[in-house]
Amino acid sequence: MSDTTTITNILTVVLLLTGAFFMLAGTIGFLRFPDFYSRMHATGKCDTLGEGLMLVALIVYGGATFVSVKILFLIAFILLANPTSTHAIAKAAYDVGLEPWRSFDSEEVAWLNTSDGDTDNTGSTGEDGGEGR
Amino acid sequence: MTGASLFGIEMVNVFLAMAILIVIASFVSLYRGIEGPGIFNRIIAVNVIGTKTIVLLVLIGFIYERPDFFDIALVYAILNFIMTIAATRY
Repeated sequence: MSDTTTITNILTVVLLLTGAFFMLAGTIGFLRFPDFYSRMHATGKCDTLGEGLMLVALIVYGGATFVSVKILFLIAFILLANPTSTHAIAKAAYDVGLEPWRSFDSEEVAWLNTSDGDTDNTGSTGEDGGEGR
Repeated sequence: MTGASLFGIEMVNVFLAMAILIVIASFVSLYRGIEGPGIFNRIIAVNVIGTKTIVLLVLIGFIYERPDFFDIALVYAILNFIMTIAATRY
């Protein structure tokens, strides 16, 4: 095994681990943040960055082949499409009238006014969202 | 590309561990998609799981040495984007 292969593998593993960290951070933020908008803040950035880093790691591992060009197109499309879809979801939620989350001791709790439709668990979701479950 | 190893660890096993980690993260996102209040949490859960699935498809393409999966990942990315835009325009 030559030195170049070793350096390539080390770079691949480091980029993969960094991407996995960002992806896990986005997932934990998606699970634990109290509001829809802050959840979208977590997932929109962390998922895009983690995915880009993992795909860059696979480009480094694969070398300069046709497959790498294909993954490069995939990265370019994701960097275009993922913020666009996040912006579209946020604008749709704002147009519907979903209010941002204010604080814990606010009188009107914002996420109780979501356009869900099922009202059987809205009393407990406020507590669950606040407690992080 | 085959049989590459780093400090005694096969690179295929590293990719396999990353794939398992992405699957676990997808299931954690699926919890928010099922439980989360509001339709928008569910839309963004589907979006997050879709973007994780793209990386999972590329990793599977590298694990099994089959370049067909990259085309599937590209088509899946386009479908995911169009599905999200259509769901927000609804």
